[in-house]
Amino acid sequence: VTAPATGARPADKLHDIQSITDTALARLGDHDLLTELLERTRAILQADTAAAMLLDSSSGELIATAAAGLEEEVRQGVRIPVGRGFAGRIAATRQPVTLEHADHTTALNPILLQKGIRALMGVPLIAGRKVLGVLYVGSLTDRKFTSDDLELLLLAADRAASAVLSLMTREDRLAATALQRSLLPSPLSAAGGAELAARYVPGEGVVGGDWYDVFTLPSGQLCVVIGDVMGSGLPAAVIMGRMRSALRAYALETTDPAEVLARLDAKMQHFEPGALATVLYAVFEPGLSQAHICSAGHYPPVLALPRRPARLAGIPPGLLIGAAPGAQRRVANLDIAPGSLLCFFTDGLIERRAHSIDEGMARLCRAVTARPPDAAIATVMAALVGSETADDDIAVLMLRRPP
Amino acid sequence: MTVDGHRVRWVGQQAVIAMPAEIDVTNADPIGQALVIAASQDTPVLIIDMSGTTFCDSAGVRAIITAHQHAATTGTRLLLVAAPVLRMLTLTGVDQLIPIYPTLAAALAGAPGPGG
Repeated sequence: VTAPATGARPADKLHDIQSITDTALARLGDHDLLTELLERTRAILQADTAAAMLLDSSSGELIATAAAGLEEEVRQGVRIPVGRGFAGRIAATRQPVTLEHADHTTALNPILLQKGIRALMGVPLIAGRKVLGVLYVGSLTDRKFTSDDLELLLLAADRAASAVLSLMTREDRLAATALQRSLLPSPLSAAGGAELAARYVPGEGVVGGDWYDVFTLPSGQLCVVIGDVMGSGLPAAVIMGRMRSALRAYALETTDPAEVLARLDAKMQHFEPGALATVLYAVFEPGLSQAHICSAGHYPPVLALPRRPARLAGIPPGLLIGAAPGAQRRVANLDIAPGSLLCFFTDGLIERRAHSIDEGMARLCRAVTARPPDAAIATVMAALVGSETADDDIAVLMLRRPP
Repeated sequence: MTVDGHRVRWVGQQAVIAMPAEIDVTNADPIGQALVIAASQDTPVLIIDMSGTTFCDSAGVRAIITAHQHAATTGTRLLLVAAPVLRMLTLTGVDQLIPIYPTLAAALAGAPGPGG
């Protein structure tokens, strides 16, 4: 059976367009909207399947995400590299593609070929200047798609793109948030006899690559890490997770903080080329009387002694992680008097467009006092963040040597 | 000439690219691209002029590092001029990669030509 051409009569065509642009669709959630839109598109175009493949930017592949008709490709998680095959070509060229005789030379999707798909028509899903994926319909019978068919598919793609964008943005945000939460040590125990408190605040609702970590070594030394992977969202959170694990592994191999950061740097440059991060790593002697601290492009901590104004600890600046091979970094040995407090932080805490970095650091020093960390951190967050929503994410960790 | 809207001018063998007053996540990507284009094989010395830059966050640092990594492949020597945002560049160790001068005049005088 050869499917008849659609949209033959103007009244039908209008009805078809209304079916796609139906405002009632907006009341559905993004995922349901996509599924319903695919079902309507499939029905209007009298196709055997309608499907959406979404671009996974980290792998550069299109992943079958929703389908009406041949749902197997979604269940089996079919992946097609951008630039290859029918769907890959649409995503790469941002142009519609119509195949009248689909076979293994023109289409890669094994499920479509197994099921005997003969004709395919697909269009890119575009939001702004960004390709989000591909929307296509397929027919099990020979079929010539008309310009009216293409027009309808483009309309459906337009409608789907906004739903897909909000779906992808939300999924990325949820995944990044979940990842952040799973990686930040919580609750902070009184590790190594230190009193600890920490905060993590995502900026503008966007989770980034800030992290802190606290752990003890078999030697009884206590280690504190604070870092910031440049970039935001899921990609930064993923790299952060890898850096955190790698640093812990190197911490077991050597107690020299500069060597730990050098190994981390070499690992990042090899496995995550293009990633940049600032990291501060501190190793405290048992009893917390001294800390050995090394910075890879990160702000030094603020040091507050009891009843004394707080100041930035003198840590020699070292090159950030990922910038260039073979960077040499120096270690500062810091004496920690009983009752002293160290405040580790990321740039989001002090950087404000209206003020210089020096002003931000001065504000922070004024707010930090050598009190129990729970109270001290509340004061700092109130003074530096208050009720404003930060643009950037913020991580703060405070450690006090008991008086 | 301009590269992506950023003015590049030549002083002898040295190209000078002027940076905007503020560099952050909203404009760092095009700035990074402009720096990469400017640091081509035909540019022996590129001076990144941040003397008018009063705000530069980590996104700006990232753009500069990316330009440095690219310049290493084309053989372009990078120099920086920075005053208000010097602190950010020393803190992140950028000054250990790229020489930083307080003024454009100092950079022009201090930058030897190719092979120098």
